[in-house]
Amino acid sequence: MSEDGRAVVRELLRHYAPHFPSRHSGRLIEDTSEFMEIGYGDVMALAGKHYLVIRDEAERRFGMEDPKFWVKRCTELESGERKIIKLVFYETFPLRIGDFEIYCHRSPDKEARILNLVRDDLRFMQGQTVRDSKDNNVRILDVVHGKRLDTVVEDIDADHEHYFHHFFPSILEKFIGSCESIAFLHAHGEKHGDIRRDHLWVEYQTGAYRWIDFDYAFDFHENPFGLDIFGLGNILLFVTGKGEHTTHTLKTGGNGQTGSPALTPDDFSLMFPHRLSNLKKLFPYIPTELNNVLLHFSAGSYVFYDTVGEFLDELRPCLQALR
Amino acid sequence: MDFKKILIAVDGSENASRAVSYVGDMMAGAPGVQIMLLCIERFPDRDLFPDEASWKTRCTEHRDELHRFLLQARTLLVTKGIADTAISERYVVSCSSPFADRSATRCSFGTSIAQEILAVLKEEEFGTVVVGRRGVSKAEEFLFGSVSNKIIHHAKNCTVWVVA
Repeated sequence: MSEDGRAVVRELLRHYAPHFPSRHSGRLIEDTSEFMEIGYGDVMALAGKHYLVIRDEAERRFGMEDPKFWVKRCTELESGERKIIKLVFYETFPLRIGDFEIYCHRSPDKEARILNLVRDDLRFMQGQTVRDSKDNNVRILDVVHGKRLDTVVEDIDADHEHYFHHFFPSILEKFIGSCESIAFLHAHGEKHGDIRRDHLWVEYQTGAYRWIDFDYAFDFHENPFGLDIFGLGNILLFVTGKGEHTTHTLKTGGNGQTGSPALTPDDFSLMFPHRLSNLKKLFPYIPTELNNVLLHFSAGSYVFYDTVGEFLDELRPCLQALR
Repeated sequence: MDFKKILIAVDGSENASRAVSYVGDMMAGAPGVQIMLLCIERFPDRDLFPDEASWKTRCTEHRDELHRFLLQARTLLVTKGIADTAISERYVVSCSSPFADRSATRCSFGTSIAQEILAVLKEEEFGTVVVGRRGVSKAEEFLFGSVSNKIIHHAKNCTVWVVA
């Protein structure tokens, strides 16, 4: 193809995106192997459609932008829809959880498999997997129009007690639905792999909770779903407490607590010794049943949940108790 | 229940070696002892590898390591004074094996080694089960699970030896 298909791209943009500045018109990409070289103005030709690259995705971590060069924000030219396109990138990297370092593997095939499993199940992000000209696995994802759950919770303008009585029950109800969707994955032998509060999104239009990003794989043999359960526990702790309550916030009095707690190391998270799990000591109106679920994730616990089902069996009655 | 009918669960680790050695020391010269070395194959997840070839290579290496370990364990028991004829081995292949033998009548799903051990324990009516233990913290147990703890909690009608 002449000029790396630039003439084709110019023509596509002229037809589908006439407002796109022609000076930024790039190459036509059919082989996505060299994802670092694919950038703004390039058009990826995949499975009969064309995707104009707008930018690389980035995650905001520790106050800094962390670019993800293998994930492209795109516009599907034929439909005008925004898409997120994930290209093949294999990496293995250590992930720190409390005192542990776990080796995490990025697996495009795992994510493709889960996308297939959850097709039309709107508890999860949606997308399809196609192959480029070099048979690379390319995931074309629909954008979830919404906001991270943690941001939604933090932005509720209420003190904890008001939040807990008036907003939390419906949040818990939806969160239980999200746990059920993780149980669905486990029942099919799959793990989410990266359950964090910024991977659960609240859709603007429907208020539905949706999981995103399934490409992390781990080798946890005796307790394959342990990491997912740990992630669910962390989110429950966050939404119950309307934020994190740490040794730092306890010292600075930024918790809005109504209790006067006498805390011991057993009251804190098993994995993160600075993070309070025993929230009832801070907010005495939290029902004991719910607090007991939180305590399963604390340093004082000797009994852990083996399955999401066990977790849900104790969490569902808490919702009934709150209503 | 015949407590001299002993199942030793091994996985190629140092803890498993200690368990084998301990049984050899305890049971040397004892009449009527029967020992089975049980090895549950568990390959690394296919998702951890970029392609089929590299996964198969690792699985082959892993299987060779386990077979070598079984041979060494048998030799160790014999050296300690257990009759060679009193020792048997069982190797349970992985259900997700990339090799042709995945259609074996019993295969391991790999989701809980402890459950696989307990199933053999029950079926074959062993009186004693022996496992090694590396010693895990509470946090590690929460995250990674513990085979020995699960066996302690769920084994019935038998003696459990945990060699730490």
